[in-house]
Amino acid sequence: MEEQDYIQFEAYLVGDLSEEDLLAFNMRLESDPEFNKSFEIYKDLTSNLEHQIANEREIFDFKANLDVISSQHFNAIHDEDLIIKPSPTSNFYKYAVAASVVILLGFFVFNQFGSPSYDDYNNFDAISLTVRSAEDDSFSKAEQNFNSQNYDDAIVVFNTILEADFSNLEIQLYKSIALVETNQFEEAEVLLNKLSNGNSAYKNKAKWILALNYLKQNKESECINVLKTIPQDAEDYKTAQELMKKLD
Amino acid sequence: MSDKKLHEDQKYIDGLAENNAFIIQAIYDKFAPKVINYIKQNSGDAYDAQDVIQETIITIYNQAKQKKLQLTCPFDAYFFLLCKRKWLNQLKKSKGKEVTINEEVLSKDDDAQVLSFETSIFENKQALFNEMFQQLGDACKDLLKATFKIKSMEEVAKSLDITYAYARKKKSLCIGQLTKLVKASPKFNRLNY
Repeated sequence: MEEQDYIQFEAYLVGDLSEEDLLAFNMRLESDPEFNKSFEIYKDLTSNLEHQIANEREIFDFKANLDVISSQHFNAIHDEDLIIKPSPTSNFYKYAVAASVVILLGFFVFNQFGSPSYDDYNNFDAISLTVRSAEDDSFSKAEQNFNSQNYDDAIVVFNTILEADFSNLEIQLYKSIALVETNQFEEAEVLLNKLSNGNSAYKNKAKWILALNYLKQNKESECINVLKTIPQDAEDYKTAQELMKKLD
Repeated sequence: MSDKKLHEDQKYIDGLAENNAFIIQAIYDKFAPKVINYIKQNSGDAYDAQDVIQETIITIYNQAKQKKLQLTCPFDAYFFLLCKRKWLNQLKKSKGKEVTINEEVLSKDDDAQVLSFETSIFENKQALFNEMFQQLGDACKDLLKATFKIKSMEEVAKSLDITYAYARKKKSLCIGQLTKLVKASPKFNRLNY
């Protein structure tokens, strides 16, 4: 196709071809199969771009919602399977549960005394991305880097993933944690503000991380202001309340 | 398709497009168990089923938002065929696994076959389109992102400090470049153009 053809496609879709040009255009659609095919692709590309870019926020929210409902539905099933027949995948699950218990214990012991600092609270759970997309190498790299606290490397891989799937908010959340860990506070703040002002299931988690972002910079009043917005039904509500008391 | 009667299960399609949590929940409660059973009987486990179902729902959502998907068959049959096809394709990809197809659970619903096939094609298109978008230069990427986010071409031109005519010309040439990339891809023949 020539440049002129694509310009015509656009003019046709916008609806400002002259009557004469429109007639010629329609005739060519019928008589020239390559022209027709290219036009169909052009049209589908336009519709796809429009959806992915204009609905970015909505897609983001939908995926978060779906994630939560899917986990709720499948956690009971995975637990059942664990009891019936332990498989390599469910072993991983057992270790993950064990690990998070250890993390929780450590967290409570650690938290008994002293004035609060970021390091008291940055015991992030191990993330698991490979179950979801076994064939994708970058997900397993991201997971490894993040879980072994190579946050700089993790950010590089998160960015690769986000380039292909910019509305993946789970990755955006993990990236924000990695940003806080590596003291890139401003970028973290922008990302976390976007996540916590959204309407997704990651909203409250993002608020908590945003509070930690301020805590790490010793911005206590900003930290308290964010902590106040974490609602009672949020996973981190209790910890947020405790932190708020200690800061007061 | 347009002259066919919409099935009452269209409510699931509309609910997904609206991000209605009750509808998503209902889809899991009503239609997931059959898929989980099928995948477990065919060399998979519940984790595989979780992924297949989640990816399938995202595809239906994307198509529903973009193409106004019109369901003329029960959602059950349509959804099951999509999940089944996705799972069998994954099995084919990962070598060494024997593919057993339990014929009893195959649906005979013609509309469901046609519609689920269209959705699979839609999914292939979207995957390839997104892949090719990444191959565009930054100038095209930025212009297209601005174009579809801001919608008014006049404002896009203003924000990028170029004239309206030039912005529109660039937009059509960038999408033209994408068209060429898509056509030249080895995966193009899977798109049914």
